Amino acid sequence: MNRMRDREEQFARQVCHVLDRGTEGLDHGIAERLRAARERALQHQHVLAVNPAIVGAGGTALLTGGEEKHPLRTLLLILAIILGMAVSYYWNGFEQVDQNETIDTELLADDLPPKAYLDPGFQAWLSHYAQSAR
Amino acid sequence: MASRAELSNFLAEVERRAFKQALFAVRDEDAALDIVQDSMMRLSEKYGEKPAEELPLLFQRILQNAIRDFYRRARTRSERFTSLTAFEGDAEDPTDPLETIELDDDINPFATPHAALLQAETLSIVEEALQNLPPRQREAFLLRYWEGLDIAETAAAMGCTEGSVKTHCSRATHTLAAALATKGIRP
Repeated sequence: MNRMRDREEQFARQVCHVLDRGTEGLDHGIAERLRAARERALQHQHVLAVNPAIVGAGGTALLTGGEEKHPLRTLLLILAIILGMAVSYYWNGFEQVDQNETIDTELLADDLPPKAYLDPGFQAWLSHYAQSAR
Repeated sequence: MASRAELSNFLAEVERRAFKQALFAVRDEDAALDIVQDSMMRLSEKYGEKPAEELPLLFQRILQNAIRDFYRRARTRSERFTSLTAFEGDAEDPTDPLETIELDDDINPFATPHAALLQAETLSIVEEALQNLPPRQREAFLLRYWEGLDIAETAAAMGCTEGSVKTHCSRATHTLAAALATKGIRP
């Protein structure tokens, strides 16, 4: 059984050797058409393309290679950065208002009237109390 | 992921054999070129991101499907479609040339001085014998031995069992040997 399989495989190798010679001597016109077909196929290669400009957003890649080739993209990025800064400034303003509101609420809700903090006598008492507490 | 260079090298290495495979099957150069071109395009578009080592099996599956699609279209287009299994009867020949072959070594016996002189004729006879094989036998033979796929890969490319691959390959080999013997070629 193995002997027969060996013979089959050996015969097949010999046939394939002849076939290889046939591909080597392929007509030039056909070889050229195959080459052209290969080139077209390669142009359509599906790849998970990584755009260096996107990777470099905020980094150096955008401001070097991509800047000259894609001025519009660079302009959009700069606008996006400015917009981000404006939003950040606006948001921080809200936080400051929140803090002031909390302080005002605590002052008004306290038993001590707000005017007491402007009284020089009260300030002197606070200072004296702080020193004696040490 | 296969780089562009890897894909290019793979296609360059396989394209001529792919053309011949398609030509043996469809017997028309333009149709064979179309099949190979479509197969290369499909591999590149759909599987261009696959690792390089997966490309041979993927490409063969695409190519064999493209050839089968051609058959289907040809059947529906014309009733004059001639059966490609006309030579199956050869397998019934009681004398099996492989039984009487005496192979001395691994050197290609086609390359004897006499055969060398008749190289073109020998190639033509071998290619004609391959063309006349039943399609599934030819497909199995070429994938297994010419493309160098193992039995499991051949089965995957053909969409059949490994047992069927072994049977097709064995029958193809014996049929080829018989066909070549009738032309005076005894490896």
